Amino acid sequence: MNRVLIDLKASFKIFFRSKAAVFWTLAFPCILILLFGAIFSEMDSKYSLYVQNQDIVGGEPTLTSRNFIEALNQTGAFNLHTLDPTINVTGYALDKKLSYVLVIPEGFENDVSKANATIEFIYDQSQTSAMVVMGILNSVINEMNLGIASYPNPPQHFVVLQGETIAPKRFSFMDFFLPGMIAMSAMTTSIFTAVEISSRYRETGIFRKLATTPLRRIEWILSRTLYLIVISFIGMSVILMLGIALFNVKVIPDPLSLILVATTSMLFSGMGMILSRFVKDPETAGAAANAITFPMMFLSGSFFPLEQMPEFLRSIATVLPLTYVNNGLRDAMIMGEPQRAIMNTIIVAVLGVICLLAGAWITKWEEE
Amino acid sequence: MKRNLVAIEVNSLVKKYGDLTAVDSISFTINKGEIFSLLGPNGAGKTTTVEILECLRRPTSGRAYVLGFDISKDQDDIKKRIGVLPQEFNTFDSLTVRENLQYFAGMFGSSVDIDSLIKLVDLEDKRNEQYKKLSGGLKQRLGVAMALVNDPEIVFLDEPTSGLDPKARHEVWNAIRGLKRQGKTVFLTTHYMEEAEALADTVTIIHKGKIAAMGTPEELITRYGQRNLLILRNTDKVAVPLIETMGLEANFDSDAGDVKVTLNHSSDVSEIVRALTLKQIPFGEMQLKRSSLEDVFLNLTGETLREAETP
Repeated sequence: MNRVLIDLKASFKIFFRSKAAVFWTLAFPCILILLFGAIFSEMDSKYSLYVQNQDIVGGEPTLTSRNFIEALNQTGAFNLHTLDPTINVTGYALDKKLSYVLVIPEGFENDVSKANATIEFIYDQSQTSAMVVMGILNSVINEMNLGIASYPNPPQHFVVLQGETIAPKRFSFMDFFLPGMIAMSAMTTSIFTAVEISSRYRETGIFRKLATTPLRRIEWILSRTLYLIVISFIGMSVILMLGIALFNVKVIPDPLSLILVATTSMLFSGMGMILSRFVKDPETAGAAANAITFPMMFLSGSFFPLEQMPEFLRSIATVLPLTYVNNGLRDAMIMGEPQRAIMNTIIVAVLGVICLLAGAWITKWEEE
Repeated sequence: MKRNLVAIEVNSLVKKYGDLTAVDSISFTINKGEIFSLLGPNGAGKTTTVEILECLRRPTSGRAYVLGFDISKDQDDIKKRIGVLPQEFNTFDSLTVRENLQYFAGMFGSSVDIDSLIKLVDLEDKRNEQYKKLSGGLKQRLGVAMALVNDPEIVFLDEPTSGLDPKARHEVWNAIRGLKRQGKTVFLTTHYMEEAEALADTVTIIHKGKIAAMGTPEELITRYGQRNLLILRNTDKVAVPLIETMGLEANFDSDAGDVKVTLNHSSDVSEIVRALTLKQIPFGEMQLKRSSLEDVFLNLTGETLREAETP
């Protein structure tokens, strides 16, 4: 056990002295988060909203409809585009691939005075920002309702936004993205470090030197595994701190998320050991690790929700271990539904133990 | 009593890799306190032999005992008592000289004085330098020190000066001589003749997995080497009959004006000089060419060391 501690201590020294290791493990995920955060918050700020105003009296839009459009404009959230009142909106929206179309129906002003007004909202459900746009629209309408209600002698007339109702979900893109980044970081750190160390130590003869000491292979692998779990935890903390500080992500502390990250690290260290056993040359082994992890990131819902993907890609996702890590982490630390994360945790843990044992079994210090 | 003097005993050791027999039934005994050199070209089976003795590989057949422990049963006992500088030695790049020594001392649970080891291999100035920043010779010296962290009785050095420049090589040699002074048994493999000649008490020449000859360097040169050669430059050919009267073989090279004499004894040199001076035969320069282990190898195998290397 003492030997494990000595090896761990040396491993951390080596890690923090390697600028590349620190960069890829800690700085790179942060850069990705900032980058994605910037892209999505930029997109969040201006949505293209197409408005068709059918409430025209005497060739002029009614005052109420104009006030409403002006209120939309003042939110600063939209780039407003006006559609000709005569076109068929649904067909046009499909044809032109418009995401958000608002229809102010004929007689809107009249309906407002009768407390029976509706506004039709046609939107592309697959857009991640649909909920956000809907939320903004609702707040504008609420504002308008309140405004009407605060008149002296309020007519108590209200406008209702008519659209497809969806269960309220208050999660932002970052809420979704952060667990994906944690899983990705644990995966890449573990598999690349395992591949790198196994193949380099073999190539440079460090394994041969270690084999001449009383250090046992199993002790070395234990130390390696603990090391990668701790590094994955460090990566996780950095990502979480960034998400909480800059993107206001609400994280629910849950032991399952720690177990998930630890077993993810085990799973991919094992996979790295297996890889470097079959692909001896360090460069090729690294490329092979890339070939495994890169598609996995995209297909397992690290960056984009699986629901947005075509059916056949979704079926691929069900056989990728990272999918279960992503789902488990989201359920445990963001959605606050740990009971849903239990199954995912079990799957990842079982795979993790199997991979690690196989990797440990297959790793040889000496050739022949 | 005899057993206590023996450091390593090897009996009919064989190692096969598929069809290739890397080590072909070799036997030898190494006494405690000596520098034993296994000399041979690359691919002769040197590293396979040491790695079997270090318990890194298993022999196909045959027996070997290190400090009385059986290599097939007592690996843990052996590993505790030996120190190893592996071939093409490397250690953790970004740990310092000191940290590397501490790491390996820790692996043995050894409380060795790290600073005295650093001093032994003369790395005091570099103790806080990272391994990757050391030159080749310094790296090898650290490797020698690392082989000593557990205060071993036997130190295995596999090609310790391979690829080093002559200056660095001599520095490593000094470190190796230091080991002998400490009473350690040293098992040295090398493909450098001059290294074996300079350091070894006993040399075993290995060729294609078999032992070709064994003995002290002097014994080997006397037995298998050519006799020493004396070259007299810019001299007269009348020197030839004069030297022949002394019962020695002499030839005149008319192009260079050199006379080459094959010596029987080293005392012949002074006899020749006296005779030439007496007869007032001038000579420009005198060169004594000693026979070396290189000649021994050539005579034993019919190949020079370089030719014998298998890719």
